[in-house]
Amino acid sequence: MNVIEAENLSKTFRVKQKEKGMKGSIRAVFKPKTEEIKAVNGVSFAVEEGEALAFIGPNGAGKSTTIKMLTGILYPDGGRVQVLGIDPTKKRKQLAYQIGTVFGQKEQLWTHLTPYDNFQFFGAIYDIPDRETEKRIGELTEIFELSAFLNTPVRNLSLGQRIRCEIAASLIHRPKVLFLDEPTIGLDPVVKENIRFLIRQMNREFHTTIFLTSHDIGDIEKLCRRVIIVNSGQIVLDDSMEHLKFADASLEDIIMRVYREKGKEEPAL
Amino acid sequence: MLTAVKNQLRVCLLSIKYNIMREMLNKVTFLTNICFMMLNNASFLVQWAVLFRLKEDIGGYSFREVMLLWGLSASSFGLSHILFARVFSLPELIINGKLDAWLVLPKNVLLGVMTSATRTSAIGDLLYGILVVCLTGFQIKRILLFLLFTVTGAVIITAFALLVGSLSFWFVKTEIFGNQMLNVVISFATYPDGIFKGAAKFLLYSIIPTGMMVYQPVHMITDMDLGGLLMVLGYAVLLSVIAAAVFYRGLRNYSSGNLMGARV
Repeated sequence: MNVIEAENLSKTFRVKQKEKGMKGSIRAVFKPKTEEIKAVNGVSFAVEEGEALAFIGPNGAGKSTTIKMLTGILYPDGGRVQVLGIDPTKKRKQLAYQIGTVFGQKEQLWTHLTPYDNFQFFGAIYDIPDRETEKRIGELTEIFELSAFLNTPVRNLSLGQRIRCEIAASLIHRPKVLFLDEPTIGLDPVVKENIRFLIRQMNREFHTTIFLTSHDIGDIEKLCRRVIIVNSGQIVLDDSMEHLKFADASLEDIIMRVYREKGKEEPAL
Repeated sequence: MLTAVKNQLRVCLLSIKYNIMREMLNKVTFLTNICFMMLNNASFLVQWAVLFRLKEDIGGYSFREVMLLWGLSASSFGLSHILFARVFSLPELIINGKLDAWLVLPKNVLLGVMTSATRTSAIGDLLYGILVVCLTGFQIKRILLFLLFTVTGAVIITAFALLVGSLSFWFVKTEIFGNQMLNVVISFATYPDGIFKGAAKFLLYSIIPTGMMVYQPVHMITDMDLGGLLMVLGYAVLLSVIAAAVFYRGLRNYSSGNLMGARV
């Protein structure tokens, strides 16, 4: 059963253009120029329940824009999208009860509160009864090994500890699909490995569908069974990890080749 | 439906509680911010006291009524900034694409954004307003009316800030225009409406919400009239509905950002 379905998904942004210098600034006031940038251009794909998918591409390829359309943050300009049978543009709140999101570059936790208080807050957001929230905090504390810093304000945690708490908070309502946008960015190799293990565990034990974007080959290889590469807003490769492993080159080489073929700058792998 | 409203209210109250807890992290700053705001408001009344020594009646107001006007302006502004301070920085959130954190949650986006910050000095504004109304005549009816109009005033100034702030979904740099409009509302709210005539008075009772935020309520605290009360309530509801509709229409134009950021 497909939990994510995207058909001809498109998103265009209008970006202001300004000529250089003061002259350009003055001209822009009287004669503003804008350029249309197609961030996502007719993307179609489907993801099955329990699948772990890597959705990758160079900077500016349209990965984050796609995730934001799937989660209801952005309205698509064209095409159709359904996540768990729900249209995010029409029933964003209903969908939010069933999905989890982790944006590695953006904190969702209150930094002056402890992880425990944050989890209580998220429990209230997802309408979970207090006793049940308490039980789930216990489970997540055990799985993510949070007990040592459960009562330390988030602002005093290390980056690795904070990301663990971010992921735990996004799982408090037991989402069916977990969207991860560069969850291991800036982490050291040991913490990265730890986070990957936990995500894999969620996928195996709870059959949580994983939709991951990352520039880290390790994340992709160790977590995902399928890879979609996007470039300039279009899908350029959609294949299983199993199949790619039998190719004549390593996954890193294949990705670099696809990126280069499209004339984009090399990603920071 | 009722459960959904109850749950939404619970999240809003938790959010407000956490905001105040954050402000209280530094107790000295917290308390001095409140006290100095009260002192700051009080200092303006000295100027009015001097003016009233020269003239008994300014724009139809006595000194007692000017104090009431100042008290109601401060308490409305204060309550709005205690509960919904983030509305006043809405353009920054829109322009920098920082609404994502609320858009992925299964709760009302607008309420989530509005209740996500507070301003400590606003507690001083609210306390100052309550103190002033008690000093200018301690009567239960008067205080209850004052509190009711503090709420309607807070709703009106919040809705107005939401309306002008939401323009940022369509136009860049409208935060300057929005801030100027809010300053106009606040500045006019500290002068008796009797000094304004013609077009200025019409604007203050229509597009600029000062009339319904403070002038009309001050008249009703001294001389209650049901028609006037319904007008204020109606204006507050209408402005809120329009502001929310503009925000949600604008949300369709929202462009999320990729800036690194934290929920602080």
